[in-house]
Amino acid sequence: MAEVVLEMKDAAFRHFISSRSLTKPFGKKEGSGIFSVSLKIRKGQILGLVGPNGAGKTTLMRILAGIFPIQKGQISYRDSELKEFSPISDFGLRSVVGHMPEQVRWQGKVSVKRTLEDIAEMRGVSFRVDGILTMVGLSEIKDSPLDQLSQGMRQRLTLATALLGSPKILLLDEPFNGLDPVAIRAFEKLLIELAKKGVSIIISSHRVAGMVHLVDRLALIHRGQLLIEGTLKDIEVKFGLDDRIEIQGIGELPDFNKILTSQGSILESRKSTEGWNVVIRNPDNSLLKKLVSSNVEITTWKTKDTDILEMICSATGQELDEIGFGVIDSTMMPYKNRGEEE
Amino acid sequence: MNGIQKVRTVALRHLSNKLFSTRMAIMLPILILFIPGMAWGFSDPKVMLPGGITPSSATEVMFYTSLGIVFGATMCSVLLSFDGVSKDRASGVLEIKLSQPMPRSYQSTALVIGHWFAILIPTWILWAIAFIVVNYRMGDWPSIVDTLTSFISVALILLWYVLFSLIASTHAKEQGTSIAFGVGVWFLFTFLWALVTTMVAFASGVSIGEENNPQWIGLEGILDLFSPNGVFHHLLETRLTAVERGVSPVISWTAALIWSILPWYWFNSRMKSIQP
Repeated sequence: MAEVVLEMKDAAFRHFISSRSLTKPFGKKEGSGIFSVSLKIRKGQILGLVGPNGAGKTTLMRILAGIFPIQKGQISYRDSELKEFSPISDFGLRSVVGHMPEQVRWQGKVSVKRTLEDIAEMRGVSFRVDGILTMVGLSEIKDSPLDQLSQGMRQRLTLATALLGSPKILLLDEPFNGLDPVAIRAFEKLLIELAKKGVSIIISSHRVAGMVHLVDRLALIHRGQLLIEGTLKDIEVKFGLDDRIEIQGIGELPDFNKILTSQGSILESRKSTEGWNVVIRNPDNSLLKKLVSSNVEITTWKTKDTDILEMICSATGQELDEIGFGVIDSTMMPYKNRGEEE
Repeated sequence: MNGIQKVRTVALRHLSNKLFSTRMAIMLPILILFIPGMAWGFSDPKVMLPGGITPSSATEVMFYTSLGIVFGATMCSVLLSFDGVSKDRASGVLEIKLSQPMPRSYQSTALVIGHWFAILIPTWILWAIAFIVVNYRMGDWPSIVDTLTSFISVALILLWYVLFSLIASTHAKEQGTSIAFGVGVWFLFTFLWALVTTMVAFASGVSIGEENNPQWIGLEGILDLFSPNGVFHHLLETRLTAVERGVSPVISWTAALIWSILPWYWFNSRMKSIQP
């Protein structure tokens, strides 16, 4: 396993929100945030940070980018030359991390190159601007004003700002938003190349399916807490979401209870006017043969992908149907003791 | 690149972005009208000001021309810097800037210097042109000390309004609030301060508006220390022997120092705690 370059231990950060009263007109109280998050970032690996809207992904990214100072816990960093971990300050984090925030609305009459130079001056690396523009495919439009950029081009420019200063850790917050499939492919290729060069990458997203092929590990965050971190396979096994087959067919719904041996279990079974749909976990190797010999008409046979909702349901013990917009509602049962009153 | 070099480079970026902006191109004719234009008018030998005053020296003409700074240049400094932080915040660019390895105190210093010099350079040039205009019309130059005092005073009042606007910009989450705060402060000190002075005078039992009443003059002089425009005029008045409002030059310069340090400290603190 790759060496750990950054370690976060029991880190906590809570936003302050307005809490006005007659006696305290400017009163504030603690609001949402992240709680007791421990996370390891490994050299040259791509970590997918997934969770629903409002889970705390962006807050965690901002902590790692040195924008939000942690209120509890510790963040330690180990440089490639050093053997021991040492605590790292916000300023130190900003030196080793490249941060690509979500949906930056670049606007104005200033050119692309000039804009990138403005940021590069803050890092003291303005000499790298041309190279970075070429890397992200913006060299041909470097003199165009920001107002003329498409959403995809703006995303590339944001990525370019994150790549300034050769960061050891790259944080990408919903990087694929607004990108066309060609740009996504090129983006992914670039990230894989960077990871091969030893850059640790964290991609935040609310979609697992869009990045399972790209990431080495996944971290699931929900209501400010890190539920689990590991490879997708590890997580699926832990939550019982591995080895699932989705079968669709037409005609009468077969009686799978009779067809399946004791090994497999039916997770989902639906009948509609078009046909039927069944999800089976851990099926017998001979299941397909049995179905064919029983003259069952099968139209689809595929491995079922895991999505965030399923992971959250497994982690919190909730049923899929119970979850609506209230997925971030504070009334949801906590699954882990935070060690403090919420 | 050390800290000072970084601040200088980033400040120069802000400066050139603002100096060559469309906004500046729109404001320049206003500044020309208000500064050399007023100098041309007040240096007319036949000019008669309210109260029957006719300026008799170049220093006096430049003192009256300073109204152009109070009405024109200060408003331009508000309009130039009201979105210094809020625009980046609204667009998400602030998050990128805050994640750079440049201390926030350096970033705030670069912001102040960049915005300040963007309005100061054209204003100083026009102020210098005003001196030439006055000399052309009256054949008189202010002394070197008078000239230095006026240039420093102009620089300071512009700094104060830039700081007010930038502070507002850090508090506002959208442009409207930011500009409303900046223009509101400008309006308060430029127009409403007379009302504040009158109300305090009334409450203190001082006869209001009697120009030769020493009580009124003294009270107005003290209250002016609480207004940037008032302090600006106190600084200019340190070079006018005929004016005596009960505020010594030391107090005037101390007030100027306080008006510079406190808002700058406030802005710096805001930038340290700002969230994208």
